[in-house]
Amino acid sequence: MEALSSLLTGFETALTPLNLLWALVGVTLGTLVGVLPGIGPALTVALLLPVTAKLPPVSAFIMFAGIYYGGMFGGSTTSILLNTPGESSSIITALEGNKMARKGRAAAALATAAIGSFVAGTIGTVLLTFAAPAIAEVAVQIPPSAKFALMLLAFVTISATFGGSPLRGLVSLFFGLAIGLVGTDLQSGQARFTLGVPELLDGIDFVTVVIGLFAVGETLYVASRLRQGGANVIKLAGNARMNREDWRRSWKPWLRGTALGFPFGAVPAGGAEIPTFLSYTLERKLSNHPEEFGKGAIEGVAGPEAANNASAAGVLVPLLTLGLPTSATAAMLLAAFQGYGLQPGPLLFVTNGDLVWGLIASLYIGNVMLLALNLPLAPVWARLLLIPRPFLYAAILVFSTVGVYSLNNSVFDLYLLALFGLIGYGMRRFDFPVTPAIIGVILGPAAESQFRTAVQASSGDFTVFLRQPLSAFLLVAVLAALVVPQVLKWRARRRKA
Amino acid sequence: MTDPSVAPAHRPRPSVPDLLVALGVLLLGGLLLAGTLQIPFGISAVVGPRAFPLIVSAGTLLLGLALLVSALQGHRAEPAVEEDTDPTQPADLRPAALILGGFLLGAALLQPLGFVLGTALMYTSVGYAYGERRLFLLTGVALAVALITYLAFTRGLGLSLPAGLLNGVL
Repeated sequence: MEALSSLLTGFETALTPLNLLWALVGVTLGTLVGVLPGIGPALTVALLLPVTAKLPPVSAFIMFAGIYYGGMFGGSTTSILLNTPGESSSIITALEGNKMARKGRAAAALATAAIGSFVAGTIGTVLLTFAAPAIAEVAVQIPPSAKFALMLLAFVTISATFGGSPLRGLVSLFFGLAIGLVGTDLQSGQARFTLGVPELLDGIDFVTVVIGLFAVGETLYVASRLRQGGANVIKLAGNARMNREDWRRSWKPWLRGTALGFPFGAVPAGGAEIPTFLSYTLERKLSNHPEEFGKGAIEGVAGPEAANNASAAGVLVPLLTLGLPTSATAAMLLAAFQGYGLQPGPLLFVTNGDLVWGLIASLYIGNVMLLALNLPLAPVWARLLLIPRPFLYAAILVFSTVGVYSLNNSVFDLYLLALFGLIGYGMRRFDFPVTPAIIGVILGPAAESQFRTAVQASSGDFTVFLRQPLSAFLLVAVLAALVVPQVLKWRARRRKA
Repeated sequence: MTDPSVAPAHRPRPSVPDLLVALGVLLLGGLLLAGTLQIPFGISAVVGPRAFPLIVSAGTLLLGLALLVSALQGHRAEPAVEEDTDPTQPADLRPAALILGGFLLGAALLQPLGFVLGTALMYTSVGYAYGERRLFLLTGVALAVALITYLAFTRGLGLSLPAGLLNGVL
């Protein structure tokens, strides 16, 4: 097995004391920002990008991978103890886990979430280890026209799955695409949409966009509708642990959740939201205690949490093999690769095998570390939820300022940051999901380049996208992703009427 | 996850903010189109620098139109629910305006006064907007956070941040 020997070399890279330290820093930071409201893994990677510019790429990615997985573990703590999901994929955990916590079973809910995340994360990483090189081998032969169609498919599915309305998702995506156009066109050297401002010739740094939309937008929005009287945090006494009965009821949902989550993450159809809902529905059907669902059933925490984490591992498959991010954090990782002059895609396994395999090996290590961090230390993380909000949000804004200012040492970037903060406020107020805009900014320029390469290779013939078989097939899938949900909705409405 | 399309037959009247947002997206599309037409044609390129922006502008205009139609039909956007927000309370824009003002002022003063004082000002305005009224404590923490951040980034990570008034002291 070639994958196994490559993985062993990867472990050699990841197990050096220094890289172990970076992994530990990453998982700790990841859990921290996952627990804290107002800040998430995508934002954390964006904030750390300027800082890590001096690290060797392997160490930086080992840390980022820790943040990526850690954010998932930490997020479940918040939704169980606080009953307000930070991300749409933890809605179910908030629903069922918080009910458990209110019945005095917080320790068991946290334990089944953490162990389930560990099981799903580890199985997901095993699947990634074997699937990724195989897909990379096939992906080398994909022509530019099909690559463009693939990106189109990712654009459409991401916009249509995040948030409630596909229309609003697409508006968000096009806003991101437009921002990505600003600056000098690399192929022709022409300035585009720079409004004569010299600072815009290099384009708008995506770090500014991400921090503005996520951190500043969130700070402004929460300030305008702050919950008075503090958060209603459930007290947690002792470690996260579960009894024999909990184990018996949890292990099957973990495995089923993993089986649902991984493929949804791996297909560029993005989003951990759908598999968590599917897992919840499935567990309710299969359970011997369906009456407990909605009142704190442990299966309803175990399954969706596993699905959530398995899909996070799955998202790394299209990211590493095709350079296609399907979540905001994956988009940040893609941008980090580009910052080091690396292009994720099939060739990455050949040109930077050490880096990729070191990263994959660190995922196994990170998962073990996260389990160790989350079970005994659960009460410590829970206490973080009590940080007074004025001091927390003020600190987030100061760190955002440092992150953006240190990009170019320019105050102009801070004004841009304020502008994107205002837009981020508006997006929350008017129900536009933020993730499609982020994907648009980061993937837009790559999509344009594939588009132009494809048309140029066929000497200006735009029908190349329809004549290349794979590309044509993908375009049909794009059409289906746009039309099918609408038809289903229309039929559901007719049946109701 | 409320689905506005399965609302009862009696639609509410169009909401003005939602209409303004739709018009804003249309305006963005129009500006993008105008900007696209100002891009010079590339030399010797089969697909010039205009092609892709044209697609993006046209798409934005179409989406803006769809949004306008949906707003006119009475669909309105539900404000997002975040971890620390209370969806049952009316929104109060004053704290948000205070944060934005404090941020812009802090940014403008970042170079003359220095990083520490500029970001301490930002910190204080956010803390006050979030309801902290112990001003001595707040400004103390603000200065401490700003100073520690400054030292960590300049001494620890070797980034250069403006020292301003405190030049020579730090």
